Amino acid sequence: MSPRRLLATARLDLLHNLRRPLFWIWLLILVLTSWGLSTGDMRIQSGDSDVGGLKTHITSEFALALIFAALVPLFHAFFIAVAAGMSVLRDEELAVGEVLHATPLKPSEYVWGKFLAALISFVAMLAVHGALAAFFNHLVTGASQADYVGPFLLANYLRPALVFGLPLVVFLAGTSFYVGSRFRRPILVFFLPVAMLFLCAFFLWSWSPSWLPHAYNRLLMLVDPGGFRWLMETWLDTDRGAAFYNTQAIPYDTPFLVSRALFVLLGIVPVWLAARHFAKNLRGVQRRVSGATLPEPTPTETAPVTPAALGALGMRSKRPGFLRGLLAITRVEFRELLASPGLYLFVPLIVLETVVNTLFMNGPFETPVLLTSGVLAVGGVGWLAALVCLLLLFYTVESLRREEGTALAQIHHATPVRTSSILFGKALANSLVGVVVIGLTMLTDLIILVARGEAPADPIPFLLVWCVLLLPTFLAWSSFVALLYSLVRNRYTTYALALGAFMWTSYQDETGGLSWVWNWPLWNALQWSDMGVFELIRGELLLNRIMVVVVAVLFTVATVQFFGRRQRDATNTLLRLRPKPVARRALLLAPLWVPVLVLGGILDARIDSGFQGEELEKATHDYWRKNVATWLDAPEPDLVGADFELELFPERRAFEVRGTFRLRNETDEALAVLPLTRGFGWRRPDSLPPPEEGEGDGPLWTFAGQEHEPEDAAGLILFRPEEPLATGEEVEIGFHHSGEVPFGATRGGGGAGQFIVPGGVVLHSFSPSFVPVIGFQEGIGVDEDNAWDPKQYDESFFEGDTPSLFGTAGRPYPVRSKVTAPAEYTINCVGTLTSDEVVDGRRTVVWETDEPVRFFNVVAGRWAVARGEQGTALYYHPEHDYNVPAMVEALDAAREHYSRWFHPYPWNELKISQFPGLGAYAQGFPTNITFSEAIGFLTEDEEDVADAPFLVTAHESAHQWWGNMLCPGRGPGGNLLSEGMAHFSTLLLFEEVRGLEARIEFARRIEDQYGDQRVADSERALVWITGDRPGDTTVTYDKAGWVFWMLSNQIGRERCLEGMSSFMTHYLHDRDHPVLQDFLAHMRPFAPDEEAYDAFVEQWFHEVVLPEFRLEEVQRVESAGGWEVTLNLTNAGTGDVTVEVAAVRGERFPDEDAEDPEPYHEARTSVSLGAEETQEIRIECDFEPQRVVVDPDALVLMLRRQKAEHDLEAKKTGVSFL
Amino acid sequence: MLQVIDLVKVYPGPVAALQGVSLEVYEGLFGLLGPNGAGKTTLMKIVAGLLEPTSGRVEVDGIDVIAKPQEAWKRLGYLPQDFGFYPHLTGRAMLKHLLSLKGVRAKGGLGRLADRLLERVNMTFAAKRKVKEYSGGMRQRLGIAQALAGDPRLVIVDEPTAGLDPEERLRFYHLLAELAEERIVLLSTHIVEDVAVLCPRFAVIRDGALVARTTPTDARADLAGKVFEGRLKREELEPLERRATVLKAMMLEGVLRVRIYDPEGNAPAEFEAVEPTLEDAYLALMRSNGDAFEAPEVDATAQEVQA
Repeated sequence: MSPRRLLATARLDLLHNLRRPLFWIWLLILVLTSWGLSTGDMRIQSGDSDVGGLKTHITSEFALALIFAALVPLFHAFFIAVAAGMSVLRDEELAVGEVLHATPLKPSEYVWGKFLAALISFVAMLAVHGALAAFFNHLVTGASQADYVGPFLLANYLRPALVFGLPLVVFLAGTSFYVGSRFRRPILVFFLPVAMLFLCAFFLWSWSPSWLPHAYNRLLMLVDPGGFRWLMETWLDTDRGAAFYNTQAIPYDTPFLVSRALFVLLGIVPVWLAARHFAKNLRGVQRRVSGATLPEPTPTETAPVTPAALGALGMRSKRPGFLRGLLAITRVEFRELLASPGLYLFVPLIVLETVVNTLFMNGPFETPVLLTSGVLAVGGVGWLAALVCLLLLFYTVESLRREEGTALAQIHHATPVRTSSILFGKALANSLVGVVVIGLTMLTDLIILVARGEAPADPIPFLLVWCVLLLPTFLAWSSFVALLYSLVRNRYTTYALALGAFMWTSYQDETGGLSWVWNWPLWNALQWSDMGVFELIRGELLLNRIMVVVVAVLFTVATVQFFGRRQRDATNTLLRLRPKPVARRALLLAPLWVPVLVLGGILDARIDSGFQGEELEKATHDYWRKNVATWLDAPEPDLVGADFELELFPERRAFEVRGTFRLRNETDEALAVLPLTRGFGWRRPDSLPPPEEGEGDGPLWTFAGQEHEPEDAAGLILFRPEEPLATGEEVEIGFHHSGEVPFGATRGGGGAGQFIVPGGVVLHSFSPSFVPVIGFQEGIGVDEDNAWDPKQYDESFFEGDTPSLFGTAGRPYPVRSKVTAPAEYTINCVGTLTSDEVVDGRRTVVWETDEPVRFFNVVAGRWAVARGEQGTALYYHPEHDYNVPAMVEALDAAREHYSRWFHPYPWNELKISQFPGLGAYAQGFPTNITFSEAIGFLTEDEEDVADAPFLVTAHESAHQWWGNMLCPGRGPGGNLLSEGMAHFSTLLLFEEVRGLEARIEFARRIEDQYGDQRVADSERALVWITGDRPGDTTVTYDKAGWVFWMLSNQIGRERCLEGMSSFMTHYLHDRDHPVLQDFLAHMRPFAPDEEAYDAFVEQWFHEVVLPEFRLEEVQRVESAGGWEVTLNLTNAGTGDVTVEVAAVRGERFPDEDAEDPEPYHEARTSVSLGAEETQEIRIECDFEPQRVVVDPDALVLMLRRQKAEHDLEAKKTGVSFL
Repeated sequence: MLQVIDLVKVYPGPVAALQGVSLEVYEGLFGLLGPNGAGKTTLMKIVAGLLEPTSGRVEVDGIDVIAKPQEAWKRLGYLPQDFGFYPHLTGRAMLKHLLSLKGVRAKGGLGRLADRLLERVNMTFAAKRKVKEYSGGMRQRLGIAQALAGDPRLVIVDEPTAGLDPEERLRFYHLLAELAEERIVLLSTHIVEDVAVLCPRFAVIRDGALVARTTPTDARADLAGKVFEGRLKREELEPLERRATVLKAMMLEGVLRVRIYDPEGNAPAEFEAVEPTLEDAYLALMRSNGDAFEAPEVDATAQEVQA
């Protein structure tokens, strides 16, 4: 190989690259990106600007690593792939190959020279990227944004560029170069970075369920070409605080660095293969097979003796009809597609991407979703729409330019075949690709369903969603791409415009701006329910699909008109663009675009007048603006009794309700005005005749039994009694109205929290959906424009009567619910069923509370019922019986044990009712728990000891105690007594019912979630958690559950439960609602050692600590009496803790199916460690230990528990790599 | 009849590729001769309905090709100058596909017809090979086969003999002659021999304008006694070029033989008058800026051509 010739080749290509618009556009994007990122909008999620704390720097090595790891696959990849992949192809298109290779230039010099040029260009762009980032970060915005710009350190830019950027650049350059020069198909080159991006963004970077074994997670980190997963999972997901990120260099581990080096190698090897292949094929060298005989010579050109005269051939010709032409085109296009190697790469990739992403969907509490046909179909619809559209983009463009690319265009276009046949024929062939993708994905999903054997493998949902609903999307997109190409006649411009439209749609989707009018790909519009298919969105969905089909026809007709079989004359084109010809053409197309406008207009109007539309937005803004100043903290009466008669009409989503609220003034002063908030879609009752002149058409009200017309302050109903309501005085307010829930159309699909649909009914008293709510509701009418900062509480905020966190202020009250619905519905409300009768095909039930409640709900459905042994019942969709036994077991166990531990259950019934998955939540109303079908009922029971159906049932059942009977106060730490206690109760119940292994498993799972989701810098102590900071959710649920668990161990289980029971009894019917401070004060007398209790409370409730254990110098030596393990244990985190360390052998909890499991042995010791303290530990064993485990019983909350174990056999087996 | 009326084509630049070309072509072979870049291909594309002119009209048997190109394509056989095929199809499959697109029917089906057409262009041996494996000449012959297919009223062949060896060129001449018996065949070429052999009438185009319409016989007759040939030493050529129109200078057996065009008959003494060829006529036209060779404007009729 001659370096001179190699460099000459490289120099020529480098000079060419400098002149290419591709590189200048690339540079422009880098300038804009670096400038945009320097504003600090993309930073590591640590620190908190809300509290004025330390912010993460955009100039730290971590921040720059994040940028290189994310942006190289996002922005650089496409340019690298095109520039490298097209390098050899371009020479082929320019037909310079023969001239070049007639020179002494060797194939290897040519290939390596071209690759070298490409690589130098890419590395230069990477360097430019770093330089631009430094320029904008430190020189342009540095001065004004000093709080997130750190000092300039060259290493912060250099190391991430070399470790994260360079390997991917080399890898992608090499593979693209190989693909381009080996297969000679531009489409492969274009789609490669897109496929890689999707694989990274939607799988490698995002899919990380808590149950994924560490070794697999580690493997995924190492195979991520960008290194993004490693960075996130190792250093960023577990927040280490702004100070750490701002000052520390990234501690790269050896396996990661090895994987980066391997990516470089994986980039070089393809180039070597390309050079080999190029050399082999350049002069038609064939592989020599030893011993092979020479093939038979192929027939050579021999002149026929008597060729038939043309006239004798009997040829006739007639212009082919549309169908005949279409079939001819389709046949050939399909053959060309079959010869396309990309198809065999991309189709499986899309199938894999879609299946994998739907297969591992998670529900609440990170529980895996039980997959049904409907869940899979709707779960995959977004993936399929996006991926198939991208595939269609590339194949449509390449198909349309196939004749030009092969130089057949002049012959082809001069045939009499109709243009419509050409376009439809190509579209049909490309559609077959889509059909194959959808068919294979469906087949794969159905096979998975059959293999799992849980839910039936029903093809109908797939056919409905992927074929019927997505077909218009594919038609519209293909026709759009075809129209673009017909107009611009340039491959790259078409790609740019189409990808621009695609990205715009994605952006609108991300920012919530994608309404039914614009949502052509149906992204996030569909929610599947086996209990009723698309009942909430049916009308809009139908209109949207019709509109998209008409748009597709419009685009197609326009494409047929503009598709240039004949080259247009520039002068005449200008003449055609005069207003008159344009108007004439538009008029001709009016039968198509007018329906689009009409359909769009209808959808827009329906959205505007719906519950997510502008009209309601304006009405709620008015409500807020008019009333917030006066009524936000105004005294209000207590609700002391509710009685209502509700008629449900699920087929038209409507209700009519008549009822009364008994209100009592429990404040110290007389109330001159009694405020209630009404629903915004309410109207005059449908059962009444239309209003006469002078009568309003709104809800009807009574006051103290008399008809009344209260003031309606933009939705806040103000009753002004003649005499102010004195302290202790009661009055009855009546209401009578009709409405729909939700009213009108959704904005762009999705679900709703409350609804009346044929599949089921869910209504509750937290918001004015069907009955009014006492007082001004501060959450209504608040959006980004008028949101205020969270309330600041002082140290004594909980003294005196604290209002309740949920429902109305005051004590519990009785509720009587009389509900009528079609006879086939079962209707569940709070309390006890006192009457159930069917008259004229309608069922009427009466529910009355046997013990007062603080809030109430109504839920109805066509259910089967499973009853437990403890007065419990589970109402479920008859086809969703998968987890019913586990849920009934949990419900029974919860009622039995929680009653014993916390307080006897006061009501007769405890039931769970399933509702359609239009909302993905569960709510524990007194006696009447509601579960979305996605929770519990469609939760995967993976034969795990801490199985998800048990988990969610135990958690939600606990809210009967922690949330209902003990209703926490409004203020910091209040919600922890509901959610944290529910998790704590679940821990207890797991241990009680499923044993120690299940409890440990659940504890480890929520500990992992806390480690992953916490935001270290903004995390506050438990007593100050308000739920409005990032990371508060995991603290409220997971950390609080753990800390209550540790508290129970600190006090002792029995004393702790005794204290909790006493605490609950104290606040059961109180007007004062407790927060954490009340709880801790109440528990103190139950602690055997109050000093230790105080220290524990101070550390875990008033401070933020999190231990993290590190084992070093672990050794196992055989001694005279057996074995001895020595190690240094460090608390690398914070907090003073006492923790057990065990040396173990065998499986502590062997599989039930395991044959002859090795007996379990353990030897323990206990150690107390403060922050940053290290102690040497010795554990004597009478067995040969295999592992060292810190905190084997999961009694101490810690960070990165998986690191607190050491495999003593690892060195022997060599498995420590993962 | 093919009528080209006052055809103008201006490319952005602006470049005037055609400057008011008018032409009438009757049944039979008609040659369009001109140097590279003269506008031949532009004219062919416009006549084939694949390029919109800036102004002017083209009619084939009364059908307006500009307004209704799809009508013209029904009766068109077209062999462009540069073309290719789908590389992954076999020659037979490719031809069969094009026959389908052209709406051709024949007894025994399109497969059999494709075979027989391939036979006509001596390509049976490569019928089952993929087109990407074809040599330039084989591709050209496949192109010829598709242009012959059907029952075209107008056949346009643009530089058709490029890439063909002498034997195949001869075979093609026969085919074109056979085709031209009942059809209009428009042959665009810069190879004078093609016209000399095939075309009873031809036109010469230069810089987007027709500079001659004549027959080969008339063209030759007009130069009678005005073409001289002689032998020169190499160094004598340049002085001669300054004072005479040199049509051709070629080495033959180590000797430089030069043909000159001298309408006045004052050729150098060592030169002698020779029988003019069509090539001489064409070259004289090209060398003389259009004023040296006055080709007669002959409005031939179909009868004359057939005669």
